[in-house]
Amino acid sequence: MNTNDLIDALARGAGPAERPHWRRKLAITLATGLVVAVALVAIWLGVRPDIGAARMPIMWKAIFSAAAAAVVLPLTVQLMRPGRPLGWRIGAVVLFVALCALATWIALMGEMPERRWEAWMGGSMPWCVVLIPLLAAPAAVLLTLLMRAFAPTRLTLAGAAIGALSGGVGAMAYAMYCPVDSVAFVTTWYALGIAVSAALGAVVVSRFLRW
Amino acid sequence: MADEAALRALLLKGLAGEEAAHRAFLTEAAALLRAYFRNRLRGRAEDAEDLVQETLVALHTRRDSYDPNYPLTAWLYAIARYRLIDFLRRAKHRDHAGLDGHDFGEPDPEYDAADAKHDIKVLLDKLPEKQRTAIRMVKLEERSVRETADATGLSESDIKISIHRGLKTLMRLMAGEQAT
Repeated sequence: MNTNDLIDALARGAGPAERPHWRRKLAITLATGLVVAVALVAIWLGVRPDIGAARMPIMWKAIFSAAAAAVVLPLTVQLMRPGRPLGWRIGAVVLFVALCALATWIALMGEMPERRWEAWMGGSMPWCVVLIPLLAAPAAVLLTLLMRAFAPTRLTLAGAAIGALSGGVGAMAYAMYCPVDSVAFVTTWYALGIAVSAALGAVVVSRFLRW
Repeated sequence: MADEAALRALLLKGLAGEEAAHRAFLTEAAALLRAYFRNRLRGRAEDAEDLVQETLVALHTRRDSYDPNYPLTAWLYAIARYRLIDFLRRAKHRDHAGLDGHDFGEPDPEYDAADAKHDIKVLLDKLPEKQRTAIRMVKLEERSVRETADATGLSESDIKISIHRGLKTLMRLMAGEQAT
């Protein structure tokens, strides 16, 4: 087929483009991902039994996770569409990671030396590194479906951004279960759980973004 | 060739529903894309034209991904670059020699519209019936969406959605055909 004929065919009856309404779609996607993750925690892991007394620690851990998601959000939005600059949005992620490291160090230095190890490791294996990516999966699937409707062109980065964003959503839900409230534990292992989600996203999600 | 501002104005008018502006945008874009792909696939004018057509369909079906607050050429070339990388990845998959075995001749100075290797009418047969009928009637037989809706008993929005989905699939088929 001649290219001019193709152009004629494409333009014919094209009409106005639909408005993409991406803000609304993104908000619905993230909210749905969060609700599914919370339901998974409630059904599968079980909400921590002292939820009444532990309202404050649960709240701050959820806010920390939401902040992580919020930091990755502008990057994800840029990567959904072709040819958009990333600039400060990468810097924001780097700054957030640096602040996590700083907060971990300050919190550990504030502990007695013999208690530092426990405050850091939470007294057992930090399962959140595994559980946060699992809880991130529903949001990641939904975000992948959403992004496929747009036109990502940097697929590895886009996959990583989807992974990190859904990692933040998964961590918000995980906060309801997680029995460890030490600051250093959260700023290390929650951040690492989100980083694992990002790495999985870069490898796995990016394959499903091809168009 | 049109500059950034003129091209952007055409696309925005096209997005608002002006068919002639959209056609003009695609024509200008095709010239830019032809130069871009021919420079990068020297001596392979047919592959370049395949990519031009594939990318035109991509620009058309994904035109709502353009945000007027950002430069148009960045958007256009990001899509072109993505299609090119996808093409090279498939070519590498096809023969491990990739581009190395090809003759890097002089770039073709004639940037005229040309025939691509694939025949869209043949590719259409691979689409689901509803999408195939909608594209054939509106895009090839020059009937209006209204007429097509009446003739098929489908709603107008159904026809539009079928065309949109069908074109997206068509772009993948155009890409896939090169891989075989």
